Amino acid sequence: MNKISASVFAASVATALSLVASVPASAADATKEKCYGVALKGQNDCAAGPGTTCAGTSKIDHQQNAWKLVPAGTCEAMKTPNGHGSLTQGPAPA
Amino acid sequence: MSLCTQTRFAAALADPAVAVPPGLTAWNGLQPQRRFAVYRNNVVVGLTGAIASRFPAAQTIVGEAFFSAMAAEFIRVHPPRSPLLLSYGDDFADFVERFEPANDIAYLPDVIRLEAARGKAYHAADVAPLDAAKLAALPPERLADLVFVPHPSLSILRSPHPLVTIWAMNAGEAELRSIEDWTAEDAMVARPHMTVEVRRMPPGGAVFLQALASGERLATAVEHAIENASAFDLSANLAGALQTGAFIAFH
Amino acid sequence: MKFSDLPRRAGVGFKPEHFPAINAEPQPIGFFEVHAENYMGAGGPPHAQLGKLRQDYALSIHGVGLSIGSVQPLDREHLSRLKIVCDRYEPESFSEHLAWSTHDRVFLNDLLPLPYTDQTLASVADHIDQVQETLKRQMLLENPATYLLFAESTLEETEFLTEVVRRTGCGLLLDINNVFVASTNHHMHPGDYLARFPVEAVSEIHLSGHSETVDDAGAPLLIDSHDTPVKDPVWALYAALIARIGPVATLIEWDNDVPAWSVLSAEAQAADEILKNTNKRRAA
Repeated sequence: MNKISASVFAASVATALSLVASVPASAADATKEKCYGVALKGQNDCAAGPGTTCAGTSKIDHQQNAWKLVPAGTCEAMKTPNGHGSLTQGPAPA
Repeated sequence: MSLCTQTRFAAALADPAVAVPPGLTAWNGLQPQRRFAVYRNNVVVGLTGAIASRFPAAQTIVGEAFFSAMAAEFIRVHPPRSPLLLSYGDDFADFVERFEPANDIAYLPDVIRLEAARGKAYHAADVAPLDAAKLAALPPERLADLVFVPHPSLSILRSPHPLVTIWAMNAGEAELRSIEDWTAEDAMVARPHMTVEVRRMPPGGAVFLQALASGERLATAVEHAIENASAFDLSANLAGALQTGAFIAFH
Repeated sequence: MKFSDLPRRAGVGFKPEHFPAINAEPQPIGFFEVHAENYMGAGGPPHAQLGKLRQDYALSIHGVGLSIGSVQPLDREHLSRLKIVCDRYEPESFSEHLAWSTHDRVFLNDLLPLPYTDQTLASVADHIDQVQETLKRQMLLENPATYLLFAESTLEETEFLTEVVRRTGCGLLLDINNVFVASTNHHMHPGDYLARFPVEAVSEIHLSGHSETVDDAGAPLLIDSHDTPVKDPVWALYAALIARIGPVATLIEWDNDVPAWSVLSAEAQAADEILKNTNKRRAA
């Protein structure tokens, strides 16, 4: 098993805490990025999700049949050499 | 209005193939087809718009026409059960996973899960992240048994696809390019303060955080993480968890 | 019971994209209105922004999902959520629509019309009683924009609203764009509608834009789309009404194709001019 000894464990935690505690604010971001990568934020408004409305719409819905459509966005550009990058075609997950 | 009138109205709204219900009129005495169509249109455009606004990266990936058609099908099968639209579409990823026309894009459901997690984080309760100094004050022998309380905004996603890279390229965070190195990426989503953050997890990090978030002891979480990735670095991961506001308390 | 008490000035519907502009300097805005349902999450930026706005401005909370016009019972869970929002922000006013939007627990996301009969009158009045008892405040009920009529209706909309007010003690939110849209759609004169409207119960007015299309016979069909400036005939009805009844809290609604803050703010100033220039003083 991968059990680690209590002493090694305690030492690792202590290292982590000293890492967190000793890093001045200015360097904290660098440590953070080293551990968990750069924080990606996205367009934050989008995370808000739908707003409600009490208005009608003048946009007419041209309902199309999804079964007759082909995805046509950036998925084209993100193709792996083997296609869209489906599970079977990509390398096995780590 | 009898319940029957309302039931017929609602049924005809949901399905354009159903005739305009009897008893609806216009001043000019004509069958109000186009007038009823305004309501039908409001429902479909409103709800597809609601789904599109929660999943903008997914929409960019498949394009607007395909996305609208897919969302319209979702709405037909899973109409909202609450006027709270901010959580409508929580099960959209599961639907897309079984939606045949999108099958080619194997990573799409995970991108949708990531966007759903961002929405959840955006509206989660505001709680100050754990102050690491409190942890430093503990005697070393207590550390192994610590149980952490996750931040209400925290989600951890595991994906066999380069999830964070794909999302970033479709959320205006990174330039669009073809992905040469198609590797698995795990993601952490949290909003320790006012901005929702997405991070790519290091090896074993997702398993470590998932174990802690589900209430496992620190020592057990470490064991899981090492089993998952022998390169797991406890010091770095614990420091990362504390600094990204993944937890709010321990006991 | 707390009564609706908005300042008799112009306000606007709050859009999060305007927050930075609004927050940059004090705005000549009488009040902000928000949709209750957008503030039913636990926390995050929506509450942070509304909390800040609330410190500086009067607030109207406008529900869009209670389905008061349904013949089915109100969603008690949703009513409790409304109470939480009202208790948290203590708005000067709470309003909802004479419409239904939920059927058999499915939310249809539109304000749907109802026939005006003794039966629907009884059920709407019961629902309003329930809302006012739960929230411990008077609510305002808004007249709808409608696109078709029910053969079974036995009451005019204005008669229906008059009777709802008499039975429940609720106030009214008079949407003048809705009056213009519905009157046009039903080939009636909006001035006649307003002449019959129980204006003494009006505590707020809504103004917004609409778009134009035609019905199956080619007759004009207006859609309450809130995506343009207020149109001239709506301004004319508004000015005439304010001259007749005196100043009333007035909201500019702009929900689709939302413009820059300066454009929205200018619409509110135009309404404020009309409010300031009337000699008529309303009885308190």
